[in-house]
Amino acid sequence: MKALNKPSQYGPDVDLGRFNIGPAREEGFSESDLEKASSRLGISRESLRKGGYLQVNESIAFRAMGEKLVQHGAVILPTNEALKKLDWVSKYSWRLISPDRDKYTAATYLHGGELGYFIYVPPGIKIKDPIYACLFITRRDYAQLLHNIVIVDDGAELSLITGCGVPDQPMNSLHIGVSEFYVGRGSKLSFAMIHAWAPGMVVRPRTAVEVLEGGEYISYYVIYSAVESLQTYPRVSLRDNARATLNSVVTGGGKGIYDVGSAIVLSGRGASGEVLSRNLGRDNSLIYARSRIEGNAGPSRGHIECLGLLESDNALIESLPELSSLTPEAVLTHEAAIGKISEELINYLLSKGFSEDEARAAIIKGFLNIEEPKLPLQIREIIKRTIEHITSRAMG
Amino acid sequence: MLELRGVDVSIGERRILSNVDLRVGLKELHVVIGPNGSGKTSLLNAVAGLKPFSVTRGRVLFMGLDVTQEPPYVKAGKGLVLAYQFPPAIKGLQTKMFVDELIKRFNVDGRYVEVLSEILDVRSLFGRYLFDGMSGGERKRLETFLALLTRPKVAMLDEPDSGVDIESLSKIAEALKAVLGRGTSLLLVTHSLHMLKLMREYVNGVHMIYGGTLIYSGLYEEVVPLIERYGFSGALMRLREVS
Repeated sequence: MKALNKPSQYGPDVDLGRFNIGPAREEGFSESDLEKASSRLGISRESLRKGGYLQVNESIAFRAMGEKLVQHGAVILPTNEALKKLDWVSKYSWRLISPDRDKYTAATYLHGGELGYFIYVPPGIKIKDPIYACLFITRRDYAQLLHNIVIVDDGAELSLITGCGVPDQPMNSLHIGVSEFYVGRGSKLSFAMIHAWAPGMVVRPRTAVEVLEGGEYISYYVIYSAVESLQTYPRVSLRDNARATLNSVVTGGGKGIYDVGSAIVLSGRGASGEVLSRNLGRDNSLIYARSRIEGNAGPSRGHIECLGLLESDNALIESLPELSSLTPEAVLTHEAAIGKISEELINYLLSKGFSEDEARAAIIKGFLNIEEPKLPLQIREIIKRTIEHITSRAMG
Repeated sequence: MLELRGVDVSIGERRILSNVDLRVGLKELHVVIGPNGSGKTSLLNAVAGLKPFSVTRGRVLFMGLDVTQEPPYVKAGKGLVLAYQFPPAIKGLQTKMFVDELIKRFNVDGRYVEVLSEILDVRSLFGRYLFDGMSGGERKRLETFLALLTRPKVAMLDEPDSGVDIESLSKIAEALKAVLGRGTSLLLVTHSLHMLKLMREYVNGVHMIYGGTLIYSGLYEEVVPLIERYGFSGALMRLREVS
């Protein structure tokens, strides 16, 4: 398969030969590693037990769906099992993302063994509590190749919180998560993804979302750890009257390269989408904040807001917004600003009794806080805790 | 409570104010008045310890201790707080969160918060980001509230009366009267007579500042009628002639 050598359009090219890629095999893992990774992600084992999926390396450690939801036909399974047990799942598999898109998707298609999570919510079923999916790596020089499929059928609702991480030591491993999300007519998917990696990690999520008529997709992505490199560019396609808001909070650290994008395609009348990103450049990190909105049908609306804050003279943030319109009826706008922490704001907080470190932390916290009232409370709480964790570093 | 002895204020090499003497006693209200550009804001910022202003000569005594070179947050922690003339908007920082943080830091009792927030009518602003998109009156009321919320021993207020409507002005005046009654001393800076008049019965001293020099200190009755009659420069000229 030629695609195994096809670099991604963005981000540094990585030699996959560095990582152990092979047939999936079961392997144990230590409880203490698991505990460390969970606590870094702020997702408790208790939350997982209520409804969740936990995969460590290739081993599915845990999966659960509330009894009531199962009675209603909701499903949570490893993707390989879903593909075996449920005939109809195959038509959703590799439909939004082609295996030959790049070497990362190709490797996942060929060698991933269809590990990952599959979630299905039947028509009209509104799942009140979030489902948690945790994907951990505890091995070095290892490639975790995942394929996730989520289907929220017509008029249904789901909140999904995904935490991906490693214990706090350097891992030199690769994480690829190919995620295909289907949001049905008039349905809603709220999706939060929190990444807590470590120096040496190569991270290549591949996400595509299809939102049918009147559906809504809200995502909130937070990464707050050092990595070797991260490259992702989720793409969301919106049909008539569908809506999407894609939020991302990127905290660059170490010598990491963070190439993080978000794209929305307004392909239906009345569709609207927003891409909001906050980027915090620390240490020697390089952040490329990409965003793109395509107005292919009108009337439609799209807006990009990209803000960057440099905390280090050696960090770099590049904001790369793109607006493309095929119709005069699409109203597309963008705003971007990059700067350092304003002395005026620090001074103000000093005058009210904050020390300089505390003032910086409060300003960063405010900066990173993208208010997303449409997200369920539990997701907002997890994001809030994560942002508090990020800002605690500014306090020294 | 607060005493300035022969204070010079500079920004870098440039001297803004010279040889300022001023004393604010317990539960006293003193007003520094002067035209735009006379050095009023620089004086408060330097006393608060905010960069780029610095006290390059003389001493700032607070509760009998020399705090001249103390950083602003230490001064605020001790009870010497500044209310900004133009507080900056901090997007993303919820006003409620900030208020809660100040209540915790300064160990403020609930009743005080309730009374103060009611007088200044700021509760409706708690759900918004700090000063973001607020009108002039809302900003001034909120900034006065935040400064007084810390239960300061001395609050320095930089033009709490500029750019506000009559209603907000009277709310701010009411709040200042309330905290004076509870033991806070006030040093207020203004370039108009609105607030002075509202606070007339409480004013212990009026200090006229011009061109970086504190020219005259006197009582309300001595100074304000002259300013009303002759304007600031005229009043200053007459006071100089007789002093």
